[in-house]
Amino acid sequence: MKRLLDFLYKRRETGLFLVLEILSIWLLIVYNRRYNASFLNSSNELAASIFQVSNNVSGYFQLAEINEKLVNENEKLLQQLTLLKQKPLSYKDTIGRFSITRANVINSTFSRSINYITISAGERDSIEPGMGVISSSGVVGQVKSVSKNFATVYSLLHPNLLVSSLIKRTNTKATVQWDQEDYDKASLKYIPRHISIKKGDTIVTSGFNSVFPENILIGVIEEFELSEEMTFYEAKIKLATDFTSLKNLYVINDLLKNEKDSLQYP
Amino acid sequence: MNRINIRELVLNFIFMMLLQLPLIYRVTLFNKAFGFFYVGFILLLPTKLSRSYLMFIGFCSGLFVDVFTNTPGIHASACVFVMFIRNFWLMVINDEWQGFTNLNVATLRRTGFFGYLFPLIFVHHFILFTVENGGLHLFGSLFARILYSAIFSFIIIFAINLLVKLNSKRI
Repeated sequence: MKRLLDFLYKRRETGLFLVLEILSIWLLIVYNRRYNASFLNSSNELAASIFQVSNNVSGYFQLAEINEKLVNENEKLLQQLTLLKQKPLSYKDTIGRFSITRANVINSTFSRSINYITISAGERDSIEPGMGVISSSGVVGQVKSVSKNFATVYSLLHPNLLVSSLIKRTNTKATVQWDQEDYDKASLKYIPRHISIKKGDTIVTSGFNSVFPENILIGVIEEFELSEEMTFYEAKIKLATDFTSLKNLYVINDLLKNEKDSLQYP
Repeated sequence: MNRINIRELVLNFIFMMLLQLPLIYRVTLFNKAFGFFYVGFILLLPTKLSRSYLMFIGFCSGLFVDVFTNTPGIHASACVFVMFIRNFWLMVINDEWQGFTNLNVATLRRTGFFGYLFPLIFVHHFILFTVENGGLHLFGSLFARILYSAIFSFIIIFAINLLVKLNSKRI
């Protein structure tokens, strides 16, 4: 017994090393579960408020740029509004299925192999894990975890995020997933080979699940390849969202989510 | 001379973190090089600290950074590993390391400073980026990121150390 204790005492540094490493790996595994309420992330109040301060400082120098973006967005929305006014409203439009919450980006990365965005809206703004996030130019990501005032968002530039999408011209279902290479490209998967696709085809969200509404822009096909032995096309799309300059985002809450999911996954 | 000044260490730590955390992933060169200069703090801890202490401090500061980068465990494990091999490496690189308490540009000399710090920073960044990448695929861009980041981090740490040295001379 004494010898055993002596041995353990002699090896205490190696032991501590192993314990700390195993603890780290455990934290990593727990965190990588899809949604969690862990406080060990950037939606943690302390971390997020430090980011907010540094964002306030850097944001001040980008005011002109942000202003111009918002003016452009306003113009686009006005155009859409005039178009809508000409059309008679359909039954579906009147239900008001989606509620939209505005949020500011306080921290985001785009050049790592996994990317997250921290936004300044949380439980108080009724944000929940799993909601979709878009910008005025296209799809951005999905909420991962939420604290009182902040939320961490899976960026589309995260290999775990799969977005159900449609090729608008042919109405073919496909999946968009980031391939960890460039921050303005992603790969488009599972397009069957009998469909003919073209360079420049628009990819939009399908609306089959309750994360994103349908017809939100994701990107356009930039290049594709189909060799003899492949069952599916290998295609790359250029993303519509510019992840290097995210500022104002919109979080989408599907009010009919529970109803829809209860029918789809009984 | 040979006593460890705990107050100074704590102040150093707070200073490093205040400098690093708001800037993490914002100091980026060419979308490839990230500056994780907090590693400099843990690598230059006094030699008189035992290895258990070193690993524990490494773990805590790594975890602290992890919270800000949404990678719980990655920075922590890299830091613990680097702290584990730190003294071996110091022994290999410098025979008289037991003779001095503080590790800095003055005691290690410039070449020793590079020879001691750079390989350890490289190992740290290697673990960091490989785990984050989820393996060794896309090895070209992964390796470029590791190498450039290591060089960038080293330059920042070196610059901070020179600044501190100049200041202490003036006083």
